[in-house]
Amino acid sequence: MDDLATMLWKEAAELVGNRRYLRVFVLAVLALGILPGLAQPPAAPAPLVRLFLLLRLAYVLLAAVIMVAQTAPDLVLHERVGRTLDYLLATRLTDGAIFGGKVVVAAAVGYAGGLAAMGVQLVVADLRGGGGWQWLYLAFPVGRWIAFAVMAVLVAYVAVVGTFVALRVGDQRAAYMVTVASLFLPALPFVLHLATLSPTTGWFVRATALFALVVAAMAAAGFRLFRREMLALYLQE
Amino acid sequence: MCRGLTRAFGSRLALDRLDLEVPTGSVFGFLGPNGAGKTTTVRLLLGILRPTGGEVRVLGLDPVRDGERVRAQCGVVLDQVGLYERLTAWQNLELAARIARIPPAERGRRVEAALRRVDLWDRRAERVSAYSKGMRQKLGVARALLAEPRLLILDEPTSGLDPENIVMLRELLLSLAQEGGRTIFLCTHLLDEAERLCDRVGILQAGRLRAVGSPTELAAGGRAAVRLRLSGAPEDLPGRLPLPDGARLAPAGEGEWRAELARAEDVEALVAALVGAGVGVRAVIPLGESLEEAYLRVVGGTEASRSAG
Repeated sequence: MDDLATMLWKEAAELVGNRRYLRVFVLAVLALGILPGLAQPPAAPAPLVRLFLLLRLAYVLLAAVIMVAQTAPDLVLHERVGRTLDYLLATRLTDGAIFGGKVVVAAAVGYAGGLAAMGVQLVVADLRGGGGWQWLYLAFPVGRWIAFAVMAVLVAYVAVVGTFVALRVGDQRAAYMVTVASLFLPALPFVLHLATLSPTTGWFVRATALFALVVAAMAAAGFRLFRREMLALYLQE
Repeated sequence: MCRGLTRAFGSRLALDRLDLEVPTGSVFGFLGPNGAGKTTTVRLLLGILRPTGGEVRVLGLDPVRDGERVRAQCGVVLDQVGLYERLTAWQNLELAARIARIPPAERGRRVEAALRRVDLWDRRAERVSAYSKGMRQKLGVARALLAEPRLLILDEPTSGLDPENIVMLRELLLSLAQEGGRTIFLCTHLLDEAERLCDRVGILQAGRLRAVGSPTELAAGGRAAVRLRLSGAPEDLPGRLPLPDGARLAPAGEGEWRAELARAEDVEALVAALVGAGVGVRAVIPLGESLEEAYLRVVGGTEASRSAG
């Protein structure tokens, strides 16, 4: 745990020291918070209102995913370019600490970005003249579950994919594109009619738990696959 | 210690049956042209790569099994020093201190001492991106020394530096070497650097260790060259003498001859032969060879034999 804490400290210090990144983060939060917040809700009927609220929630998830998809490959690629990854591999840090730290920080940034976008969106909507109804989705269990739990698993998934893709793919644009493209994978069961979405809390809880297991398995496979020696060979290419 | 250490990448042998012993507390220079296998050796020593053959022990440990323990006792400056540009010098060293698990109460003191040692204390709050190449190299050395490692591995530490910074860094390395108690493994292709700093050097080429010994031994190279001041030597002197095997004798100016011998101890036999032939030997002057000349002889000779092969 000490090693993981060291890596978290390092990644956090680097992000704070990266003013360009901080600017992009703030702009993304504002853009994905203010624009949906300005949209006027439909007057009626109720299903349309529900859809409108779900769209707002989708923007929150989008903000989180965009942040983490940008952050996860970048945390690895700038180490590759700056040759600091060679240094880390030459230290006593374990592979798990080195890459676990990156996954955790990338996921945390995405989650924080999503929450911040949600906060901005709600405040803007209130200022625009709502009666507080736009907060309603947080009043229901399924809304809260999507806003907090689904978002957490989704950012973890993108963080794992982004980190390990960037370890193999040295080009930033390519790594980013592959990471974004990986978002279609969770949608595949629905596209192939292997699963049907049901807007109930129970369904979301089960689906999120299953997805979390898949993400954990992917992370474990990534740590096994990207051993120190394998990385040294990639860096040598 | 390496015995038969081999590493292949596909069909290419990056390191071919390396036998090497570096005594504790010594400064060992690992010489060789680019691509000779020096960095591969460093990675094998640190347990980053696994050997495809042979065995290796570092500080009594097997880097394959105990990589973490080996790396914990090593300070490393890689050919690309790999500092975090967005962090300050202090933060870079604090990271190294955290990695080395130096207790929080002691961290600040150790970081300060390391920065002062390389004259970067006044610039500790600056980001490394503002540092010159020389300052980065110094900071890299400070980072490697922070945990007081038993083994310091330096891979081309003066690579890409201007002459002024090379001198500055060399003085720093010289002071480290003189402190003693720490084994230093220095990979370099700068021969005067190795000659000044190292107790022993090994010359690696195309993955094979071509020569190993002290700089003086390597400079002698097992051969000896002497300048002779002779009196009464006929012009066809070489043909009249029973010269030792592999020896060559050639005139080198007024009353002087140059002899090249296969072994240093053949000088005595040559002098005896000259005296026996009635030639007066007025002086025997050993001709030294620099490490650079020895290196070029070893590397050049190997290149020539490879070309011939």
